[in-house]
Amino acid sequence: MPLANHHTSVPVLVDEEKCIADKGCTVCIDVCPLDVLWIDETTGKAHMKYDECWYCMPCEADCPTDAVTVNIPYLLR
Amino acid sequence: MNIEDLTIIDTDVLVIGGGTAGPMAAVTVKENNPKLDVILLEKANVKRSGAISMGMDGLNNAIVPGHATPEQYVREITIANDGIVDQPALMAYAQRSFPMIEKLDAWGVHFQKDETGDYDMKKVHHLGTYVLPMPEGHNVKKILYRRLRRHRVKVENRYQATRLLKDTEGNIAGMIGVNTRTGEPIIIRAKAVIMATGAAGRIGLPHSGYLFGTYENPANSGDGHAMAYHAGADLANLECYQVNPLLKDYNGPACAYVTGPLGGFTSNAFGERFIECDYWSGQMMLEFFKELESGKGPVFLKLDHLAEETIQEIETVLHTNERPSRGRFHDGRHTNYRQQMVEMHISEIGFCSGHSASGVWVDETGATTVPGLYGAGDMASVPHNYMLGAFVYGQICGESAAAFASERGEINLDRHLIDQELVRLRAPLERQDGIPPEQMEYKVRRLVNDYLQPPKVTRRMEIGLERILAVREDLKLLKANDAHELMRAMEVHSIVDCAEMAARASLYRTESRWGLYHYRVDHPDTDEQRWFCHSRLYKDDNGNMAHGTRPVAPYIVSLGEEKDAYNQLRVKQAANA
Amino acid sequence: MKQYQDPELQELAERLASDDAGLRRVAVLDLVDCPEPEAVELLIQALNDADPLVRQEAAKVVDEFESAQMADALIAALNDSDEVVRNAAAHALSDLKDPAAAAPLLAALQESRDPFVVAGILRALKPLRDADAREPARARLDHADPRVRREAVAVLGWLKEDANLPMLIERARDDVDPEVRRAAVGALVYADAAAVAEALNGIVTDEHWQVRAEAINSIGKLDHQQGLDLLITASRDTTWQVREKAADAIGKLRRVEGVPALGECCRDPMSNVRKATIGALGAIADEQCRPYIETALDDPDPDVRKLARWAQSRLSAA
Repeated sequence: MPLANHHTSVPVLVDEEKCIADKGCTVCIDVCPLDVLWIDETTGKAHMKYDECWYCMPCEADCPTDAVTVNIPYLLR
Repeated sequence: MNIEDLTIIDTDVLVIGGGTAGPMAAVTVKENNPKLDVILLEKANVKRSGAISMGMDGLNNAIVPGHATPEQYVREITIANDGIVDQPALMAYAQRSFPMIEKLDAWGVHFQKDETGDYDMKKVHHLGTYVLPMPEGHNVKKILYRRLRRHRVKVENRYQATRLLKDTEGNIAGMIGVNTRTGEPIIIRAKAVIMATGAAGRIGLPHSGYLFGTYENPANSGDGHAMAYHAGADLANLECYQVNPLLKDYNGPACAYVTGPLGGFTSNAFGERFIECDYWSGQMMLEFFKELESGKGPVFLKLDHLAEETIQEIETVLHTNERPSRGRFHDGRHTNYRQQMVEMHISEIGFCSGHSASGVWVDETGATTVPGLYGAGDMASVPHNYMLGAFVYGQICGESAAAFASERGEINLDRHLIDQELVRLRAPLERQDGIPPEQMEYKVRRLVNDYLQPPKVTRRMEIGLERILAVREDLKLLKANDAHELMRAMEVHSIVDCAEMAARASLYRTESRWGLYHYRVDHPDTDEQRWFCHSRLYKDDNGNMAHGTRPVAPYIVSLGEEKDAYNQLRVKQAANA
Repeated sequence: MKQYQDPELQELAERLASDDAGLRRVAVLDLVDCPEPEAVELLIQALNDADPLVRQEAAKVVDEFESAQMADALIAALNDSDEVVRNAAAHALSDLKDPAAAAPLLAALQESRDPFVVAGILRALKPLRDADAREPARARLDHADPRVRREAVAVLGWLKEDANLPMLIERARDDVDPEVRRAAVGALVYADAAAVAEALNGIVTDEHWQVRAEAINSIGKLDHQQGLDLLITASRDTTWQVREKAADAIGKLRRVEGVPALGECCRDPMSNVRKATIGALGAIADEQCRPYIETALDDPDPDVRKLARWAQSRLSAA
């Protein structure tokens, strides 16, 4: 069974200017209960890789540089 | 890969799940016997995992001397559960409730106190005073983490347990699982295992259609229920679903226990109270459901009559604790507590003893029916446990497991089981194409909503079961592109197991009980003659899902007049309905 | 730089000595995961870092450590130039539940002038219930800053000493800040009702509804029987929250003389008031309550009806 790509708009935004993942910070990635945040290998910054969000907020609350914003997922908004 | 290629990690006690009960269990083992090795395994990261990742805004079931007695509590929970409870297990919680509050208080958890430092208990119902607010309860997880470090509990984050292991005599022997970042299998051999895997909160589909917009933390996908089942443990009363009142679409709790003491309430479209039942129970949810569907619906959280100072207090508590993004949700819809009532709805179904009564059967020592396996928190069968019950049963299981592990000799692992599981774990990554976990998950959860959501109809549930079994046949087609998708694929296995359990358990009990939770339209009456018992669900010797009953243990607290009072409320309600 | 036995700790120490403030900041984040008791030393070092962002990071994680070991560092951090650091330190200090922390806190109190810092130290002293905090708290009851007065009231409330009652009464009656008055009247509940009776007379008519509600609550908790007339007056208050508390408190006193006033409250347009009222009538359970309870059986609000049925069962049991 062949697979198709499908796109979704993700709720968690990371401000790459503020993100210090390139200094070794992995706070948001560590605290996510669903493991949806990963380092983008091209930028070295955190980003939301999987649209599987509980909008629970630890990533935003624990980010040392206030780089993370959790929006309510579009389907719930 | 087979077992010879894997390193086996040894420990005395293994705790699976690092949310609420799990850390308490691990710390308790160390407090009891510092010499025992303890591993705490967590699918996410213990710092922010489980139902209380952002804290908790209050205790709903605090039994504080001078405000309520253990006997009173046991009586009320017995009534709320239509008599089907194991009172010794309830009493074990009730008696330890206050010492646990004192312990958590000493650890630094903030409970609301009056101006002289006494606990500031709130009376919400007329029968007992059990609500202790925690307006600054956002630091609970930090405090647990501090305790884990202090006792040097070995924490393994990002490991998903997938099957429990047994020895050749049928005792528990550890678990096999997988690293969710690398896909590497892991085997832990343990003398005792405590499961604290949370609710099965990803069985039904939220009304929004967003797979992860569940009432429960969606990491709680029922892995523990499925693992216990496959290990041969008894599960109890699974037909007594969890269905909760919540903020529509946001799907978070309405927090009646926060707003209630401050004067807020659940209302119909006319701003009137409508709930007759005085207990958090399936009966209450049935009334909620009927109002929702009636001409007076939908249902709302009403706060617009409160003073500005009170609203500010509510906003501060609700927007910093438990589910803090709700403020953002309201902003997006321009909902202001001062002017608008907030639309409510009911949740998708789940298994969660924290709010209802179903789960892996445990007795008052936290023991399941498999020797050496213990269960605590939302996954274990002690009803209406909420957060404090998870802590208490975490502690009880920690004590029991420490004692069991100390007595245990050498363990001979059942290797056949391990080889089988390694094949299952490898399959989704090895397949060239197939069905993505997300798609299969959506399908089975949509079937659960269409066919299993109460009110329950026999023929509809039979069709649902057939359809779920058809999805089970598709499990071998699951395709994962990376370790993350492998985790989701293994979760789909758990979800299908739980969906089948929900269907079969609901079909087995041919009566209605627990209000909406098990409302069977074609068996509308409660049959005390035949069904005043727990239902059992277990895997029989041929590997089939089997049923049985378990008698309700003799009450240690008689119901006396309260039961009559409850029946009176019932009669009145029926007349209104 | 100190050398550590534990390799993880040594690595963290080296990162904390880096020239790059960003790297030092991330090292602080990792410090939390280190189980070694000596990690506290490194945290204290980070609390004194030259870079405010590193200090903020350290301050945010102080509550992950056993704060008793770092009382001095936290007290020093109360004077930090950065507000985030000061706030976090104040919070962590209030989690100190070690009696041994009282002495350093009291010493710091003596030297502190900043109201924020003073309030933070008082808040930390409160749960320790140390008698040596009595005089310093009393001395700050007329501090210019209401945050300090509020915390001083709390320290004395938690001490539960009769000798402090006159001062608490004065705050409850005369403070210009309503939150201080509310806290003070809430603190009076440890007293003998007679000792605070006269004071409560004035406070139940406070201009601020939350103070009136708290005073009424205190009358109920104190079982202050002579306060009945005050409660009857309060049952006609313009604010429904006050009427609700008054009805509830009349029930706590279990006085038949309050029944006529409760009868009026049974017709209150606010259902929360009617709910409290029927609860009170059920608590009193006198024959005089019967007509009101029976009428309430048909109240439009189901919570009121539920309580009416309960109250009725109390009547038949009486």
